[in-house]
Amino acid sequence: MEYFIAQIVNGLAQGSIYALMAIGYSVVVGVVGLVTFTHGEVIMLGAYASYYAFTFVGENIFLGIIAAFFASWFIGIFVYKICYERFFDSPRHISLICTIGMSMLLKNLAQIVFGPNMKAMPQPIALNFVNVLGVRINTIQILIIFVVLSLSLGLYIVNNKTQWGIRLRAVSQDKQASALMGINVRRTAMIGNSIGCSLGGVAGMLIAIYYQSILPTMGGSLGLKAFSSAVLGGLTEASASALGGLLIGLIENLGTSVLSNSYRDVFAFIFLVLVLIIKPEGFSKKVGG
Amino acid sequence: MRTDEMRNDIPKTSFWRRQMSGVRDFGKGIFDKIKAIYEKRKLQINLIIILLLLVFPYLARSNYIMGIACRMLMYSVLAGSLNVINGYSGQFNIGHAGFFLIGAYTEAIFATQFGISFWPLLAVSGAFAAIVGFLISLPTLRLRGIYLAIVTLGFSEILRVIALNWSSVTGGAMGIKSIPSPTFFGMTISNSSNYYYIFLFIAILFLAVTGRVLKSRVGRAWISIREDEAAARSLGVETRFYKSINFMYGAFWAGVAGAAFAPYYRFIASDMFTLDEGFNILSMVIIGGQGTLVGPLVGSIIVNLITEVFRFAARYRMVVYATLIIVMMWWRPQGLVGAYDSVFAIKKSQRKPVRMASAKEAGEE
Repeated sequence: MEYFIAQIVNGLAQGSIYALMAIGYSVVVGVVGLVTFTHGEVIMLGAYASYYAFTFVGENIFLGIIAAFFASWFIGIFVYKICYERFFDSPRHISLICTIGMSMLLKNLAQIVFGPNMKAMPQPIALNFVNVLGVRINTIQILIIFVVLSLSLGLYIVNNKTQWGIRLRAVSQDKQASALMGINVRRTAMIGNSIGCSLGGVAGMLIAIYYQSILPTMGGSLGLKAFSSAVLGGLTEASASALGGLLIGLIENLGTSVLSNSYRDVFAFIFLVLVLIIKPEGFSKKVGG
Repeated sequence: MRTDEMRNDIPKTSFWRRQMSGVRDFGKGIFDKIKAIYEKRKLQINLIIILLLLVFPYLARSNYIMGIACRMLMYSVLAGSLNVINGYSGQFNIGHAGFFLIGAYTEAIFATQFGISFWPLLAVSGAFAAIVGFLISLPTLRLRGIYLAIVTLGFSEILRVIALNWSSVTGGAMGIKSIPSPTFFGMTISNSSNYYYIFLFIAILFLAVTGRVLKSRVGRAWISIREDEAAARSLGVETRFYKSINFMYGAFWAGVAGAAFAPYYRFIASDMFTLDEGFNILSMVIIGGQGTLVGPLVGSIIVNLITEVFRFAARYRMVVYATLIIVMMWWRPQGLVGAYDSVFAIKKSQRKPVRMASAKEAGEE
């Protein structure tokens, strides 16, 4: 019993990282209106940015978050300029293939620049165990949940209380109408894409800290998980996507405690297929992509 | 009247913009002429090409060159079968390596554990891949392409994970060793110059069958789904049925190619079928041209040549493919041999004028 409670806690911690990735994914798809395959690679590059910040500057968690956030912000701009900006009026599959090419490019460049081997991620906070209501939680899990909650809250505030948020929501609802209202659609879409990428980058840092290791090829399965979670929100609804991320985290950890750990990535796929069979449109009125 | 239209055509854009449109419109005339000549003397040209390919091993006289030729032929079947899915029915499969894996492992397992001969296993592996393809296409038939893309991507990766971990059947990380070479009337086919004929046979069979299928009722249904799914359905095309048939057809040939691949290398392991392998096949289709029969062939030849030429810089191989994909999408999304007015071209206004005219008549434009 205690073992299962521990697995549930692990699942929630890991699931909240997936939730952050999925929120980022749904922001990208919602605002840009085109589906991306580069999210996993953006996540990986965010993790590497924080790795180098930890190694060369200092092991401070805020530094890591800032490094990951802004590195992925600029990668988001880069991806936007190459994969989306030209292709708003073109057939959809062109930008889709372009993001696939971009994901290949980033992954293989990362393998060349950072080296193909797994590296140990520095731990910015000490690993201690805390007893909360009779459940043992470690400090890294608390950190993860805290960071994810505060970033989600930040996104909520930006989305609902600021000018930027109004523009972002307008663009995600109707590009033509918001252009007629005097919104610079391309610029707003670029900012939205960068916000989504930044959330993914911070999530990448968190997952690297959680696994205590970092690898240039880790983006593939993480991108798949981000997508699978976002499917629950119809690819555009951030809150339902976050729920999907939590569910995938739970299923994964409970599943690996039954089955072997090497089948970890299979569960996200099973979740994806189940959602597509049972509720393919997700919990969203507007289906994006 | 005519002069007014022409004056509008005068480009007001920069030098580079004009160069790019030159790249985009390349082949406006040349390919049409080649096509016309080919259509006129179809049988003779086909026979000459096949004869040349048949005597090619005697001209090359080198196992190294024949090895490259084998790979080109195998990848042209793989890329061609992916093209049937992506290029002709507008579905989007990016995990083609998964079906390749199924074919290869089916052949290897049946050949090593049960000693079944190579030739029936070609069909069995293909059929097995087709069944799996059918199952994969089921949950996404009602959805748009992107869901199928992700499902195939995940599926390809999951299959690799299973092949890596299910040691009792697939040999795990060690892979399957000493897969028996096929025999043909008592003659063992082992080296590249002989194996070349197997790949050639499969490639010609694939091209011939696919060419026939595409001209048939089924192929026309696929193309109509690609052009406009709603319109196809309203004209009575059972889109879900034809989409899953299409997916099974593509998976079948990938399985056949996999079954031919396993005894050629005599050893398979799960790391031969990574996502990068799938992207590799995809890049051949995109570089060559989606929705054309020769496109994947050209793409396979180009990509394999790049692989050979840049063998000293193998690390940068995938970077080159990735850059090529992006460059193609920017300037020539219809691929090298794709027609300038293909559905895959960048601007909708460059599509076939017939469609534009009919749209105007309907008062939509």
